Amino acid sequence: MTARAAAPIIAGMPKGIGRVALAAIAAVACNEGLQPTPAPTTCPKGGFVGICGTVTLRGTIPGNTSAVYIIAYGAFPQTRNDLFSFKPPLQSLKSLPLDRQTEFYTVVLPSGRYEWVLAAWVDTAFTLAGADTTLQVAGFYRDGADTTPAGSGIVVVPDSGVDSIDFVIDFSTMQRVCTYFPPCP
Amino acid sequence: MVALAPVRAQAQAPGVVYGIVSDTAGALIAAVHVTTAGAAATSDVTGRYRLAGIPPGHAVLHFARLGYREAVDTVTIPPGDSVRVDVTLRASRYALEPIIVTAAKRSQLLDQSSTSVALVSDSDLVRRAVSTVDEAVDKAPGVLFLNGQVNIRGSSGFVEGLGSRVLLLVDGVPANEADRGGIDWDIVPLEDVQRVEVVKGAGSSLYGSAAFGGVVNLLTRDVPVGFHGRVRATAGSYADPPDSAWRFRDYVGGLGGLDVTGSYGTEALRGSLTLGGRHSDGYREQDRSNQWEGSGKAEWLPAPGTRVTASGSWTSHQYDVSPPWCERGQCDDRGLAFQPFMIGSGNRGAYTRSDKGYVAATVDRTTSAGFAWQARASWLRTHFTDFTPDDWGVGNRYGAELRGTLRPGGGSDSDRVVTAGVEAARADVTSDIFGGHAQNELSAYAEGERRVGPVRLSAGARVDAIGLAGGPLAGEVSPRVGAVLPTRIGTWRFSVGHGFRAPSLAERFVSTVAFGIRVVPDSSLVPETAWAFELGDALSLGSGGGGTARLDAAAFWTEARQLVEPTFFDSGGVPYIRFVNLVRARLRGFDLSLAGRPLTPALETSVGYTFLDARDLSTDSVLAFRPKHLLTLAADYALGPFSIGGDFRYVSRIERIELGLSWADDPRVAAEVLDLRAGWRRNAWSARLLVTNALNYIYSLTPGTLEPVRTTSLVLTWTY
Repeated sequence: MTARAAAPIIAGMPKGIGRVALAAIAAVACNEGLQPTPAPTTCPKGGFVGICGTVTLRGTIPGNTSAVYIIAYGAFPQTRNDLFSFKPPLQSLKSLPLDRQTEFYTVVLPSGRYEWVLAAWVDTAFTLAGADTTLQVAGFYRDGADTTPAGSGIVVVPDSGVDSIDFVIDFSTMQRVCTYFPPCP
Repeated sequence: MVALAPVRAQAQAPGVVYGIVSDTAGALIAAVHVTTAGAAATSDVTGRYRLAGIPPGHAVLHFARLGYREAVDTVTIPPGDSVRVDVTLRASRYALEPIIVTAAKRSQLLDQSSTSVALVSDSDLVRRAVSTVDEAVDKAPGVLFLNGQVNIRGSSGFVEGLGSRVLLLVDGVPANEADRGGIDWDIVPLEDVQRVEVVKGAGSSLYGSAAFGGVVNLLTRDVPVGFHGRVRATAGSYADPPDSAWRFRDYVGGLGGLDVTGSYGTEALRGSLTLGGRHSDGYREQDRSNQWEGSGKAEWLPAPGTRVTASGSWTSHQYDVSPPWCERGQCDDRGLAFQPFMIGSGNRGAYTRSDKGYVAATVDRTTSAGFAWQARASWLRTHFTDFTPDDWGVGNRYGAELRGTLRPGGGSDSDRVVTAGVEAARADVTSDIFGGHAQNELSAYAEGERRVGPVRLSAGARVDAIGLAGGPLAGEVSPRVGAVLPTRIGTWRFSVGHGFRAPSLAERFVSTVAFGIRVVPDSSLVPETAWAFELGDALSLGSGGGGTARLDAAAFWTEARQLVEPTFFDSGGVPYIRFVNLVRARLRGFDLSLAGRPLTPALETSVGYTFLDARDLSTDSVLAFRPKHLLTLAADYALGPFSIGGDFRYVSRIERIELGLSWADDPRVAAEVLDLRAGWRRNAWSARLLVTNALNYIYSLTPGTLEPVRTTSLVLTWTY
């Protein structure tokens, strides 16, 4: 089998292809992609805006627990309608892990001032209509420096993360939502 | 003397030469002209040829086809016997200009299209030996898949597969889902696909809704004359996670598949049948899948210029639904922030059975050198059943089209061409989450092209009337104008076109609960619209107009309005989700592609790069799920029956994602993936060794969704 001789190869531009290929493969060799990352103990640096801290779990976790979320209100809710004005938005909530006695958490929040940071417990039978009983407050942040009886838990989030928003979640002293907007049924 | 007569007769009896013609990638080449003194033949679509009646003795065989270097062979023909000569042709520097059929709904040379078209050829499919259609399309320049959702120049983003802004065609038949408007890439076995054409930019002037950002046309194989068969077996395994802290199983995950194709054809009647199945253990937790598929095609050629085609396929795919990966506390996280190979506690045990198929019938008739028409009817059906949570839906799409192409001057080189047609479609859905609804579509379109001096000018428009069954029809007009100008510095092209997409029935009528939040319907959604501009140049680099490389560059600019996006609302303290016409966006950038044989004809290389600047003008921010840089490199070298090659794909880190604040700290990185391959071919047998993601690069493109790890597979193919 013979093939006719090839015409002279036209030189020039195509050499660039090889250079680009080598540069690209070198880039691959230098970048290893995602790596195992230890669970954080402080707020992430670089672009993170929100709060971080450690929650301590006490009491027995109810068997009908669906989730426990950390949420924040810009202003303390005054009516039942205000209850859903929390941050982060519902679709962004992530349940806290409940299999350790202490857990570091991070919550992404828009920068601003928050009057109430709390842990909301959600019943597996949660319905919006039955929110009075299927949503409960399991704990909230209090400023340790504020010694007034009512206390305060004001958190100001700048354009970065705020560390040490630590508090206790006690499943034995949870409060029904209607506690804050009586009368309870 | 009398006794010797038969011996002498046999000694003078003519012989036969037969064989297979393939290219250096192992793809079989049709239409190769094979000649020797006193005999000639042409290879069929399986690359086979047969020369009969050749006098015994030495014979010189010539093999020629445009686009390939001519080959010459000298063989000894035994008297009254046959000899097999298989030939490998190398691509010529004077490459044949590809013919495309999608950009203008008629056949034309690639350089005569006023819009950008990317091709995945039969050689590409053989070389890469991929197993699924989406894998084949994924490597086309400017195309990016985000967790199964196709993007052409950033068209679709990622909306969980809903409402694709790219239209899928199978031999020109629309094949987007009737209910969700998405694409089932497994609707056709890859074994049946001969090549793929990807038309970039708004294509609604010919294809209507869904061709908002582009069109992908899967062109299936013709059925050859005679008996033919093909068996393809695949076996492989997934690599373990690169770090032991990410181990999630104590066995090697495997994959495998088998496809069998048989066909028989005469000059007038031909048919083929493909059956196949595949299994995958998956590369992560809860990721198994099983798939069974079948397809068939029958062709009847009752007279010259007339072809009647019936085709169909059916695929049943059962797969685990892999939810977002496990984050801290959702699984045995081993003290890590996330476990990309494991899933969290939610959706454990979830799986889906997805059945889909289509049947289509087409009549093509060329009545004269100046006129041809086509009529088609099709039925597409999808049926999904989700388990845990349990949902289901059945969608149907019925379509019909009548189209004519008129070339007043006659012949393919006519200075004037007019394509016009009418199309009707009905889509319906019955589902526990979408309800029961139907939508009707009526359309008429026309596009003309005329050569004025050196310039080819084209203009056309399509009118679509779309409405719910029993309701009023809403009209949408989609014009397009284009120009193509050959110059000494390449063939310039320019086009301005309108694109639109009518909201899918799912986007209008979905009613369900997702993550405890109601998703409510909105039947008032209006179509998304866009104006797309493009200026491009295709240049053959080298002497004599052929060249060793082809450079294609295009700048594009799309202004989009009323993009449909899921949005959160609050009603008296009760949150809910609804799809609304919300986003105004601008997508602009440029494509570059360069393909050629720079050093030796045996080395084929290509580079594709897309720069994309996508802005959400409603919020003056980067449009979500649109990476800025997309680079694809490929190189293949052939040496006799052996070949080696590879692809490299770079996708810059996605700047913004759209799934709420919870993923704002998503640990995403740029994608840098290297695929390697090696091949061997001898006669009817070929073997391909593939190592995809060879460096086991761990990355995600959509939040919490690990992309495939290193996968090693061996593909054996036998062709009869």
